[in-house]
Amino acid sequence: MYDLRLYISKKGRIKFVSHLDMFRLMQRAVRRAEIPLWYTEGFNPHPYISFLLALSLGVESEGEPVDIKILGDMSPQEVKDRLNRCMPEGLYVESAVKPFNKSAEIAYGTYKVLYSKEDISENELFEALTSGSLTCEKSGKSGGKKVMKTVDVSQHIKSFKLSSENEDIGLEVVLPAGSTFNLNPIQLSQAVSGYLGKEVVPVSVIRTALHTEDMTGFY
Amino acid sequence: MDRKLERILPLVQKPARYTGGELNSVIKDKNKVDIRFAFCFPDSYEIGMSHLGMKILYSAANERDDTWCERVFAPWDDMEEQMRRNNIPLYALESGDPIKDFDIIGFTLQYELCYTNVLNMLDLAGLPVRASDRKGLSPIVMGGGPCVCNPEPVAEFFDLFSLGEGEEVNSEIMDLYKEHKKRGSSKEEFLTDAAKIPGVYVPSLYKTEYNADGTLKDIIPCEGAPETVTKRIISDLDKVFYPDNFVVPFIDVVHDRVTHEIFRGCIRGCRFCQAGFIYRPIREKSPDVINEQCKTLCKNTGYDEISLCSLSSSDYTKIEELLSKLLDWTGDEKVNIALPSLRVDNFSEELVKKLTGVRRSGLTFAPEAGTQRMRDVINKNVTEEELIETANIAFSNGYSAVKLYFMLGLPTETDEDVEGIGLLAKKVVDAFYMNPDKPKGRGVNVGISASSFVPKPFTPFQWEPQATPDELAQKQEHLKNTLPSKKINVSFHNIPTSFLEGVFARGDRRLSDVIECAWKKGCRFDGWGDKFMFDKWQESFVDCGISPEFYANRRREYDEKLPWDHLDFGVSKAFLMKESKKSYNAETTPHCRIKCAGCSANKLNGGKCDV
Ligand code: SF4
Repeated sequence: MYDLRLYISKKGRIKFVSHLDMFRLMQRAVRRAEIPLWYTEGFNPHPYISFLLALSLGVESEGEPVDIKILGDMSPQEVKDRLNRCMPEGLYVESAVKPFNKSAEIAYGTYKVLYSKEDISENELFEALTSGSLTCEKSGKSGGKKVMKTVDVSQHIKSFKLSSENEDIGLEVVLPAGSTFNLNPIQLSQAVSGYLGKEVVPVSVIRTALHTEDMTGFY
Repeated sequence: MDRKLERILPLVQKPARYTGGELNSVIKDKNKVDIRFAFCFPDSYEIGMSHLGMKILYSAANERDDTWCERVFAPWDDMEEQMRRNNIPLYALESGDPIKDFDIIGFTLQYELCYTNVLNMLDLAGLPVRASDRKGLSPIVMGGGPCVCNPEPVAEFFDLFSLGEGEEVNSEIMDLYKEHKKRGSSKEEFLTDAAKIPGVYVPSLYKTEYNADGTLKDIIPCEGAPETVTKRIISDLDKVFYPDNFVVPFIDVVHDRVTHEIFRGCIRGCRFCQAGFIYRPIREKSPDVINEQCKTLCKNTGYDEISLCSLSSSDYTKIEELLSKLLDWTGDEKVNIALPSLRVDNFSEELVKKLTGVRRSGLTFAPEAGTQRMRDVINKNVTEEELIETANIAFSNGYSAVKLYFMLGLPTETDEDVEGIGLLAKKVVDAFYMNPDKPKGRGVNVGISASSFVPKPFTPFQWEPQATPDELAQKQEHLKNTLPSKKINVSFHNIPTSFLEGVFARGDRRLSDVIECAWKKGCRFDGWGDKFMFDKWQESFVDCGISPEFYANRRREYDEKLPWDHLDFGVSKAFLMKESKKSYNAETTPHCRIKCAGCSANKLNGGKCDV
């Protein structure tokens, strides 16, 4: 038995499949691929498949880390090939490697966001991102109860870069990701909308990389 | 993916309902097919994707190289709003192409309360809802499913109906369509020819006349259309096409598993049950074929549960053999087996042991009526002793929750029959406490679900008046007030919903106006409690000058012409009449395995029934 970390890209219409549904989907893909996975023990045993990080509905990814436990000695390459023959359209195992970092070490994510020039201009976006006063509402827990909290977004933008791409504006942005604190480009867009006083919904969002605290790659 | 669509999807609930791209969904080159077929299920994605018939016919149509069959479901209201606002016409999930330009649009009509969804889907597609307003050859709008045993209320919206089992006849319709498309025929030319295919009913070729009292006088076929249209059946279930894979939905749907039909038809002959009659004659599938097909399906879908379905699973003659075959491999592969529709009277100890080895959930029983007299009237041949005995088997095997299904408003029902429901449930509670092997440390939980009886075509009760909404309300009250134990909880069906179902079940063509009117007033998803707007329906009946009570609550005479008399579903009218008369004397009819009751359905299969 050994631990294996898959990096699965999620592109196209499958981005609308929720994080919760991804687990069931992977479980079935593994069954179809006849990969001998380790099952959890207990009343309702299920294969051990762990998505290290949630990905918001509508967000694509270049490679989401997923940990599994392989029984026996099927090689990582074999696991990857088998799975790729059984995945639905839009999902692809980019690599299958022995885990290096611990899942808790994920600290940042890089995203590529596209906005339509019909919705926002490059100047407006630049102004909003550098204003220092972006905030958004985020649900959190206080004393066990669900509450809405106002989050200072500006303070959490680690870095960003703007570009022009035909009818769209490209934004490459690094935001906190991980088990302790998370900010995604959808929330960032809400903050920008709030700042500019108009609805700005991204055309597309893709997570391109994950990093540890010191901004080295997460492996 | 369409950019407009991509931008609205983040704004709706469960966007994966609308994306397509699920595993095993069929993608073809649209330039290489002759027929684009939109298979529409007029309810939510979650309901439609749970439906076995759709899976079978979808795969069967896609077996044809000349046809691309795609799926379409009713968009939920939030999506409808976005689609209308952004001018996105109803599209098929596989290609994303608007279904307006398809050759055939096929709806499966599973229950009466989906009718407004049919209209809404046609409208969202950008098509006129009335068949007479759709002039060209394409798209042909066809309907199938159990409701087409009386399709008259929706006759104005459809070009043709396919009666009975669709595996073969759908293909014949497509062959004919293809020929006419090549020839450049008009819709009328195609339909006149289609009416000659056995099992095809073209409503526009039949004229209806009414008597002064509003009852039907006659339905007259024209242009060579047959006098009666007989439903189609598949003779040999072992040889008929069965899919080797199912589309596997991304989101959780109602039945998300491998489903396998083990036989068609029912031996029982319960007089209230339409399914028990319209799916006759009885035909079984052999255990080896089922077992192999289940294996393949599990392999191709990755599902870890198999559900064996039929109207009454334990009536399958080879159930134990089938379970043994399945249990041979499902254990190792960690696949569960579920067996719904178990009957009270022949639920054996061995069977329950085999199933408990796999999965344990609550048990459901359907005595349907509370007293023996009432059960004899409806020909539900189950006795109190049998129910208690079976409940005891279940309790001894670790079950502690039991759900009992009953109906209120059955023909000849008295207050005593209603009270009997509570008394019977109480006996189940008592049986639990008296059972020495009952599960330790748990109380018993007995639930009663009491629905309202709706008389349906092709049953011995097709002439009966449905209990009025007031009567049903009184019966519900009475049952609640006479419940003998606090361990029993009871739930009821919504009365107006059953009333409307009753109107449409036995309605005629004049109801098309009411359906269109209600749809225009915003009625959709009428089967969903929170979406059902009874006031709008009442307004619509008034606006159209139609009395719903005429259809629901009126007793029909045996010699009255019924709106479905020109359709033949196998079971003869003479048989139904005989059964109706027997019911008044609380006289039962033994099931088909004891003695053939002579219902005539076997004439559809060369005189044969698998009993
Ligand atoms: S023909 Fe006889 S055996 Fe067959 S379904 Fe009818 S009553 Fe039953």
